[in-house]
Amino acid sequence: MAFWEIVFYWVALVIYSAACGGYLYSFIFKNPRVMPKMTALVGAGFVSVSIAIIARFNATGHLPWSGHYEYVLMGGWFIIAGTLFVGWQNKSLQGLAVATLPLVIIMMGYGYMQKPGLTPMAASLKTIWLYIHVYFAWLSFGAYSLAMAAGVLFLLKHKSEAREVPNPAYDRFPTLGRLDELIFRYVIFGFVTDTIMICAGAIWAKALWGSYWAWDPVETWSLISWLIYGITIHLRVTFRWRETRLAWLAVGALSSVIISFFGVNLVVDTSLHVFQVR
Amino acid sequence: MSNKLIKYLSSLRFTILLICLLGLMFIIGLWVPQVRLVKDIYLEWYRNSPRLVELLDAFGLTTIYTSPITITLWVLFFINLGLVLWQRMPLVKQRIAISEAKIADPENAAGYPYRNSFTLPADFDGETVVAKLRKRRYTLLGNASGFYAAKNRLAPIAFVLFHVSFYLVLLGGLISVYTEFIAYLDLAQGETFHGELSRYNSSPSPKLPAFGSPPSASFTVASVVPRVVNYTPTSISVKLLDGQGQTHEVGINTPYSTGPTSFVFKHLGMAPHFVLKDFAGTVIENTLVKLDVLKMRPDTFALAGYTFTATFYPDYVLENGKRATRSMEFNNPVFFIAVERDGKKVAEGLVPKNGTLEFDGKRLEMQELRYWVRFYVITQRGLSILYLGFAVACIAVVWRMIFYKREIVGAVRESEGERLLVVAGRSEYYKDLAEDEFNKLFCKITGKSGEV
Repeated sequence: MAFWEIVFYWVALVIYSAACGGYLYSFIFKNPRVMPKMTALVGAGFVSVSIAIIARFNATGHLPWSGHYEYVLMGGWFIIAGTLFVGWQNKSLQGLAVATLPLVIIMMGYGYMQKPGLTPMAASLKTIWLYIHVYFAWLSFGAYSLAMAAGVLFLLKHKSEAREVPNPAYDRFPTLGRLDELIFRYVIFGFVTDTIMICAGAIWAKALWGSYWAWDPVETWSLISWLIYGITIHLRVTFRWRETRLAWLAVGALSSVIISFFGVNLVVDTSLHVFQVR
Repeated sequence: MSNKLIKYLSSLRFTILLICLLGLMFIIGLWVPQVRLVKDIYLEWYRNSPRLVELLDAFGLTTIYTSPITITLWVLFFINLGLVLWQRMPLVKQRIAISEAKIADPENAAGYPYRNSFTLPADFDGETVVAKLRKRRYTLLGNASGFYAAKNRLAPIAFVLFHVSFYLVLLGGLISVYTEFIAYLDLAQGETFHGELSRYNSSPSPKLPAFGSPPSASFTVASVVPRVVNYTPTSISVKLLDGQGQTHEVGINTPYSTGPTSFVFKHLGMAPHFVLKDFAGTVIENTLVKLDVLKMRPDTFALAGYTFTATFYPDYVLENGKRATRSMEFNNPVFFIAVERDGKKVAEGLVPKNGTLEFDGKRLEMQELRYWVRFYVITQRGLSILYLGFAVACIAVVWRMIFYKREIVGAVRESEGERLLVVAGRSEYYKDLAEDEFNKLFCKITGKSGEV
């Protein structure tokens, strides 16, 4: 890791952890006033991660697209960018960070334990398809994470509203009906970008490995997660699965995406998605 | 009975069941070592648990992606897709149809969950509202006294396109599978290939196409230039000279393609040119050896009854009395060679480029050090159909999911000396969010805040 990268990576991790604590405090102690301050804090953490990425880019000469550490660096950036973007568009959605922040903090901790060394860009990654494929992969991961966050908020708010005295911390969030539709909207956005990611990956695979589809473990898992989200969309549109069931689906389905991003290469060492980075 | 069967085969419940079963097969495929994909692991597993593996073999679970169960599921999936498509066509036609009959009273129109009314400014006539809706890409029927407007009216067509894209991918995939030729080809710098089937590696053996013939490419490997930074290979440039004297550069991500055939760079190795002489200088054997030594594992070759085990150090250094490499950069390439005869070690030593190793009254000279490359040779037809399928799928999914349909019925009415725009609206997929969208739309159009 480059010097400034280490500094800002840790600064971001500390800020995110503080903000996460603040969000939890806001929910548990029913104090919604803290939330905008926490969003500002998340914004500061986001700036810090961005500087870490720039420092790494400066040291390696390429954007961080490969290896588990770089996956989490960029993945975390995209998830928080999505969280801040929707929070900026609609203030009542700032609380999505309560679910996306812990995910990003765990990802960053995991990434740091991988191989964060500065490596030049592997030959296999020098193609325009990398940017198309990986960019859409991160967009879909970000959108599915937001769907999960909206699902978590829905479930918490639903539970709170079932009580005699609902937690006022949830008043800031959209109504249950809107949250339910937001989950679906994020799933849709994720599914669209996921489809483009898989198609772009297949075209790249033809040039790199000679075959557009090789049943590589990562390929197979990304197909499985695409099918899971496809089923989710069908269940919602045709079978009218809404609210609690949809929220649980959005939360559960994210695990398939996490497996294809991080899990497969941990368990299987035969994947072509390794790219010889040391 | 047959109606019931067709009804079930065309149901979404069946689609979801099939997708779940296919997903399950894929997961099993990740867990059970597949013969075609990870043969070494499969063979090791077979040695450890032959009965279990034989049982899995019997069910086709070790060749799961082409097993009868998976093929059956795919066949059922495409039958289901076809039936769903066939049954939904009239519905799609109905959904995209537009007629005056759709103009309804916004206050009583059924199936429109959004209802609102907006006071129009004094200088605003009804036709301005209609014009502003048209400007926002609403297809509009009627006039200010009663209208029906639809945005993204044709979005349901994307449903058909998306499902058709699966058939394009299937067709392209089937054509590619049945015209597929796959083989590996090892060529050193300076070697020429004329498409001879015998030149392809025997293990794994070439897969010949069910239809068509093996590729007829012809070229010479003019040069191989790998670049490595520390331990990361950063690029490779393989120059090929074809029969017409044209040069083609092969790199990672840029195969040499001739017609439907691609020569994909797969692997790099060292190809030293060894000459074995006796002490009088008479050449006993003279050969270019292709050694697979770049993963820091030794490789062997035989000359004149001797077995040579070669370990390669691309950037040789002696560290604490031990042989090592500083990096994978080719700064100081050196072989460490051990010579054996009848299982007994005869000699060992370092052999740099142009260096020699003397043993048993003989001398091994490395006169030249070249590279060899392994090409993955693949011929597939039908890829253009497959890519068309991908493109159609991407366009259709964006169209269907992002540009979904919104419908409005409305009328401009006079009430207590005020002119009101009364509207009712509905959207595919969303109700509450559509409400926000419609409110925003009409507030922009009328320049007023909404009133329920």
